[in-house]
Formats: sequence, structure tokens, C-alpha cells
Amino acid sequence: MGSTGPRLPQFRRFGTRLLLLIAGLVAAAQCADYLFVRRANRANALERINESLRQGTLLFTKRVDARLDELSGRAALMSDDYSIRQLFLKEQPDPATVRSALQSYSVRMGVPFMALLSPDGQRIGDTGGALPGAALKPFQDLVKVAETVDDPKAKGFARLPPDGAGGKLYALLVVPIYAPKPEIVAWIGLALPIDHTFATELKSDAQLEVTFYYGRGADMQPVESTLQEGAAKSSAPPSVTEGIMTVGVGGESYVTAYRPLLPLITPGSASIALQRSLEAELAPSRQLERFLLILFLASLAAAALIAPVFALNLSNPLRALARHTEVIAGGDYTSRLRLDRVDEIGQLATAFNRMSEGLAERDRVRDLLDKNVSPEVAAQLLRDGGALGGEEREVTVLFVDLRSFTRLSESMPPREVLTLLNRYFDRMSGIVEIYRGIVDKYIGDAIMALFGAPVEQPGHADNAILAALEMKSALARLNAELTTEGRAKLSFGIGINTARIIAGNIGSSRRLNYSVVGDGVNVAARLQDLTRMSQFKADILVSASTLRAARGRYRVRDLGAAPVRGRDEPVEVFSIEGTE
Amino acid sequence: MPSPNRFVAVALVAASALAVHAAGTVRVVTKDPAGSPVPDAVAYVQALDSAVEVHPPAEPVAITQHDQEFDPYVTPVVVGTRVVFPNRDNVQHHVYSVSPAKKFEIPLYIGESTATIVFDHPGPVTLGCNIHDWMVAYVFVLSTPYFAKTGADGTADIAGLPPGRYRLEVWHPRLAGKVGREITILESGDTTQVVSVTLRPDRRIRRAPDAGSADYK
Repeated sequence: MGSTGPRLPQFRRFGTRLLLLIAGLVAAAQCADYLFVRRANRANALERINESLRQGTLLFTKRVDARLDELSGRAALMSDDYSIRQLFLKEQPDPATVRSALQSYSVRMGVPFMALLSPDGQRIGDTGGALPGAALKPFQDLVKVAETVDDPKAKGFARLPPDGAGGKLYALLVVPIYAPKPEIVAWIGLALPIDHTFATELKSDAQLEVTFYYGRGADMQPVESTLQEGAAKSSAPPSVTEGIMTVGVGGESYVTAYRPLLPLITPGSASIALQRSLEAELAPSRQLERFLLILFLASLAAAALIAPVFALNLSNPLRALARHTEVIAGGDYTSRLRLDRVDEIGQLATAFNRMSEGLAERDRVRDLLDKNVSPEVAAQLLRDGGALGGEEREVTVLFVDLRSFTRLSESMPPREVLTLLNRYFDRMSGIVEIYRGIVDKYIGDAIMALFGAPVEQPGHADNAILAALEMKSALARLNAELTTEGRAKLSFGIGINTARIIAGNIGSSRRLNYSVVGDGVNVAARLQDLTRMSQFKADILVSASTLRAARGRYRVRDLGAAPVRGRDEPVEVFSIEGTE
Repeated sequence: MPSPNRFVAVALVAASALAVHAAGTVRVVTKDPAGSPVPDAVAYVQALDSAVEVHPPAEPVAITQHDQEFDPYVTPVVVGTRVVFPNRDNVQHHVYSVSPAKKFEIPLYIGESTATIVFDHPGPVTLGCNIHDWMVAYVFVLSTPYFAKTGADGTADIAGLPPGRYRLEVWHPRLAGKVGREITILESGDTTQVVSVTLRPDRRIRRAPDAGSADYK
């Protein structure tokens, strides 16, 4: 504990890993998608708002200028009016007449306040009303400006009255009265209110919230606003005189463009704030984002559902393969894996099945070899891959054949014949193997055995002779058993010959048998035949070549030369009586 | 206050003596900053050593209106001069002035107006017409008899000046600043004064093309 470092989580189930992988990938892709769209939407909304704020600012300037230009035009018409000149024909115009005349003009022009100033800026008269005489100061300041320019007029923003509470924002304009042009005999001052109506109209045209601020120094207060009064008051006053920033208004984010009202004639500072709610602008995008979120969750759910199915689809056959491997390991080559698919897993299953078949085949072959050939031949066959090349070598061939067995078998049921024969073969074959020989084949009731092939062995002749003697003893024991069982005795003859013969796989390409061919084989068979000759009175006959090859000492009876079928020369025959 | 008549008598005696023996002429050459002559400027001198009485002319001065313009554009007169405004157009005019030196109006009339306006205070008087905004003319009312108006060449000759010290001034409807200097007239004769005059831009109304003009008929 504690010694292991951090390691990646290990999953016992492939499905869990696949689920996490797919769900993770889907989540990452969708999450990135969602975040990107959200970010892009926000950037777009901000850009749109910024653009409309720029347009709104331009629109405000244009509206003020257009209104003042229109008023300027009307004032020019007024200044050319005959009746206004009548006022100036008097040495001292009557103040009440001037006021009522100006009131008429202000109604005609649609402005709440008008003033008439002498060329040097002294008050001749005004409309009075809401604005006291102190309000003239900003107009006098504008006259000073107008005097200096080619087209003698001037405009600017002002709070009227400049001092005290309750001041309102106005755009002011002074234009000259000519009598005639270019002689300026007086100035007309006009005040265009920047009031709630103005703000509302601007809002309806620009689709922006409009707030006007006025203040001395840093203490800016909203004086007009299209926002709820509380919201305008709660909205942070402009911390900059000009620029675009996002401010909180009543819990919402408003992108706000501040622009100072310039020139401002009265002391202090004034600015317009144009605003649009970021939330409202983002509302259409939010719908898309909600849709994306639903899509995100849906695809995550789909991934969570599909991944296990997919994982099972992969892990089930893998588990089946694992189980199948266990079955094969247990030695069962007969069962087959049934996977109904053509992909790599299907191919793997097919390969597994082929492997099972291959193993079963090999097993069967080995089994057959074990049963049908001697273990040495089987081992050599398996070792050399069944392609035993022919080779010439010296071997001792032994033939042992039951005498009168055909006659015996006719008096017995076939099953008993076979049982008896196998019992006899079992004993004899065992002895062959004990003496390192192999049973080459069974020919009816005869056995052909080889000594010195396929594995070379120095004492093959001795082994054959000893095996023959042992067989004789074994037959005696078997006969004792058979007598006890009440059956007839068996007798056999053995022929042994040592010769150079050809050993190897003999047969067609489909069926091969390891065997030996050559004249020496025939000689052994003929010697066995000779045991039937009554004059020899011998059960074991060997050739001279066998005796020459043998190193052991045996009791031998020389039977002289005997003619052998298939050979021109007679063969020297010896009877083996026993060992010395 | 001395009797005006005695002043006049003294002046006349002095003037006639000078006229006989040594009457000087001041040639005033006006130039704007670009060196161009300045027409329609009123050059006048005020005697610094003695008071000179002015006598308005016996006949009224006429400022006519024809082709819907005043003619002449600038009319210098001495205090007390009577001015008539004959209308030679076939439309009515309504001549007025709201200038402090003379406020008056002659309501709509055509032909020879019976109204004679006496310009009895010194100073510039701007004339306008209530019907035609572009019509503008000036009467410059002087309290000195020594004056002349510059012609197209920008020069004006003020003649018959007795020797002595004078203050030379130039006035123009668009004068940007006061122009004045002291000059001395010697018995030996004439002098030429070059005066630099800076004018404000001409802001007279461009007269609208007369749609009813015979040229287009």
C-alpha cells in the first residue's frame, strides 16, 4: 500500500472502457461545439450591439443637427419677417410687445424658449415662462462664438437654468437677425429640449435605450431616460466620458455607449448613454444554444446506450473465444465456435475452428499411428513429417505365422476367432516391442516384424532370435491357458532373415505405410514357410546371414541348403533350438 | 455755445483765403492686404485745429432703385442732407433702416416717392428693402464737409483743404477695423495718402435669378 504510484484506472470489462471512450468523445465534441457556438453567438451579439450603438450615436448627432438646422431655417425666415423689423424701427422696443411677439414665434417654431439679444449680446427680450432671465447667459456665450465664424450662428448643449435644482438639458442655437443681410441687428436664441420625448423618439428609431446624464465633475445623474426610472438610477453612472462598455442595469447586462454632449455651454458635463440589453440580443441565440444542449445530452444518452451494445457485440464473442480456448485446452477438439459474423472476429473464430480441426486431425493421426504402427515408426513419422525417404539398411525381418489357423477358425464363431487372434497378437506384438522391434504389419494371422528399422540398432539379429525364442515360450503359456479353457492349442512357425533391404514410406501420396521391400523380406517369409516341412521338425528357422550377424551363442541345428521358392539358389537353413 | 453763423462766416473767410492762396488736395489711395484697390470706401478728414461747419446741399440727394438694386451702393452725405428714394422699377419697394443713426421706413411705393428723409445724425445707415432681401445700400452721414468716395481705382481726392492738421479716416461697409491717421496740409499743396484697408468677407445675399426676366421670354 502506498508504494504504487498513480496509474490509469483498469477496467475488468471492455464494455466499460468503450462506454467511457465513446461517451467521453461525444461529450468532448459536443461540449466544444456548444462552447464554441455560445462564444461565437456572444461575440456576434456584441458586434451587432456595438454597430447599432455606433449607428445610434450617429443618429443622435444627426437628429440634433437636423432639428437645429430646421430651427435655424425657420429663424432665418423669421428674421426676414417684416413684422420683426417693425420692432427695431422703434427707438426703444416695447418689452411687452417683444415678449408676446417672441411667444408667437416660439409657438410657430415649436420651441419652448426664445430670446432676442442685441448685436453685442444684451437682452432685448425673451419668451419668459419656465426659464428665468439667468438662462440668457448660455445664449450670450453662444453669441460670442457666432460672431467669430463666417456663417454667424452657433449651437451647443446646456442645462437650463444652469444653477439650482430641476435644470433640464437643451440644445441651444443662436442665429442672427439681418436688416438687411449682412447687417446683424439682433440675435435669436432658441432652446430645443433634450427631453423624454426626444429620448423616446430616438429609442424608437435606433432601437436602443437612451439615457442623458448631467453632472458637475464626477457626480453624473440621469436626467432623462427611456429606462425605468429606478433602473436608470441603479445603472452605474458613466465612469468614462466616451467609449463602449458593459454595465449592469437592474440585474441585466447592458452594452452601453457613452458620448459626451459637446459643446456644453453651461458648467459641468453631460453625456448620452445608448444601451442595449445583451440578454435581449442573445435571446434568439439562446434558443439555438438550448437546442445544442439538448442535442448534447441526447447524443450523450445515445452514446451511453449504444456503447454497451457495441461493447457486448465485441466482448461477447471474445468471451466465447476465451471459453472455447479453455475447452480446447481441456482437450475437446470436437466442439466448434459458431459466430455468425464476417468481420475480424468472425475470421478469428473461423481460424479457431480450423485450429481445432487441425488439432483434432493431428490427434486422430497420432492415435491411428499409435494403433496401427509401432510407436517408433509413429514417432519417426511425426518427426519427419510423414515423408520418410527410402533408405537401404541392414535389418532382420521376422515372420511368424499360425499353423492350421484357417481350419481352426472355421469351427469357431467369427467373434471368437477375432478375440483369440487379438489375444495371440497382443502377446506376440508385446514381445516384438520388448526386443525393440516393430510390428510392420499383420497379414491375416501372420505378423511381420522388423528389427533395426526405422531406428538403427546394433543387435537387431540377436533381438529377433531372442524375440522368437520368447514368442515360443509365450505361445506355450498361451496354449496352457487355452487348454485350461478347453480350447485347441495353437502352433506357429517363425522365419528370420537378415539382409540389406530398402526401408521407407511405401504407398500412394494419399496413403503411405512404413515398410521394407527387398529379396531379404521374401527369404524370411519363405523360411517361415519351411517350418511347415515335417522333415525339419523346427519352429524357428533362420538364414545363415542372420547367424552371421548374431553375436550371441545359440543352440543351432544345421538343416543344410533348402530350395526357396522364387530363388534360383537354395538357402542354408538353421533351426534355433535355444540359447547356450 | 458760439453762434453757428459766426463759425460759418469765419470758415468761409478762411476757406476763400486758402482757396485763393493755398487750397490743398489729399489723394487717398486705398489698398487691401492683397494690394487691390478698394472701391466704395468713404475717405474723410476732420479738421483738428478748428471747427468746420457743414452745409447740407440745397437739393436732396437721390438714391434710386432700379433693376431691384439701390444705386449707388454707398452714399456719403453731410449731416442734415435730405435724401430721396426714387423707384425706377415697375415693382414696389419698401425702403427701411433700423440703424441707430437713422431709423425710418418708406412703406410700399412706386415711382417718385414724396418722402424725403433727412439724415440728421452722423454714422453709418444701412438701407434695406422689406420686399427684396438682397437689396442693401449704405448712407454714411458725416459731420465734416471734406470727404470723397473711392472709385473703381480705389482712389478718392478730397479737395479744397486749408492748410492745417487733420485726422484722415476711411470707412467701408465691410471695414474690419478702424483706419485713421493724422495728416498735415501745407500751403505748398497736395499730398497722397496710401491707406491699407482690411475688409470682412462680402456676405451680401446672392440675388435669386429673376425667373420673370425678359431674357427668357
